[in-house]
Amino acid sequence: MSVRVKVRNAETGSTVDMELEEENTVQEIIEGAAGYWEKDAGAYVLRKGKRLLRGQQTVLDASIGNSDDLELIPDPEGG
Amino acid sequence: MRPGALDEDRMERSRRVGWIDLDKLGESKVLVIGGGALGNEVVKNLVLSGFEDIAIVDMDRVVLSNLNRCLFFTEDDAKARSFKAEALAQRAMLMNTTSRVRGIVSRVQDLEEGAFQESDVVLGCLDNIAARLHVNSHCYFYGCPLIDGGTLGTSGKVQVVVPPKSPCLQCSMNRTHYRAMEKRYSCTGSDTVFFEPKLAAEITTTSVIAALQVREAIKILSGKEDRCIRHLLHYDGLTNRMQELEVPLDPGCPLHEGQPSK
Repeated sequence: MSVRVKVRNAETGSTVDMELEEENTVQEIIEGAAGYWEKDAGAYVLRKGKRLLRGQQTVLDASIGNSDDLELIPDPEGG
Repeated sequence: MRPGALDEDRMERSRRVGWIDLDKLGESKVLVIGGGALGNEVVKNLVLSGFEDIAIVDMDRVVLSNLNRCLFFTEDDAKARSFKAEALAQRAMLMNTTSRVRGIVSRVQDLEEGAFQESDVVLGCLDNIAARLHVNSHCYFYGCPLIDGGTLGTSGKVQVVVPPKSPCLQCSMNRTHYRAMEKRYSCTGSDTVFFEPKLAAEITTTSVIAALQVREAIKILSGKEDRCIRHLLHYDGLTNRMQELEVPLDPGCPLHEGQPSK
């Protein structure tokens, strides 16, 4: 079963709708969204509400459902 | 009491906070890994907060482009290509002559194991994922709290790792982190190419993140661990957003074998 989610770009505020399958992983969502916005090759994380989602988790494992709002955040690496 | 006596006590205003255990801070051993922008701000905050035993590890030398965000470095340091750890340690001690601040010129990977074992808290002020993973695993192994900071332009983060309870830095990483790490240390077959991306960095974000890092260290050492960031705090200086994010413990992470996923 597929679910439709909205992914928000934390840097620009723009959003993209993504259609996902239950077996898609969080890192596939991250890479898909980062590719869509042609982001620099860097580290990114995805959050749902107050929780960071683990890369290997599937849509099903992460309890991502229809109409969920996710946010793509660049992981600050500099010091 | 004579008039003016309160003004002769360096830490008098800190004592008024009430919950800060200044005796504990003074006797604690702190390891600061990275002597760049975050390292400068973290060390300044540590010394002013009453920490007196601080070691700073960094292998790099000062360059002019550091000077937009490094309080303790000078143009002369850049000309002389001074070691960051040494310049930082020397200048920090001028702020409090009773403090012992040591600069260790070394890669973190070459640091003696004892440095982690003996430390009461480690502050991560690093600029790359490989070094973060090294520090993360050593802190976890020795049970030493790690407060990691990171910045990118006007955003930043602080992650608090208190072994063995909390998720670690590796738990919050995914394939994009490992790709970024591979790109930095790509091997062409005959040689290793060190690609160092120049990330946006400015002092106001650095100051915010470093302040949060040191405050978490003060909480941990003052018995206020229950008030610490759980687990990661993300800061966006452009939108004025600061939010605490929960990091799920990764059962596949080698540091948490046998622990249930949360």
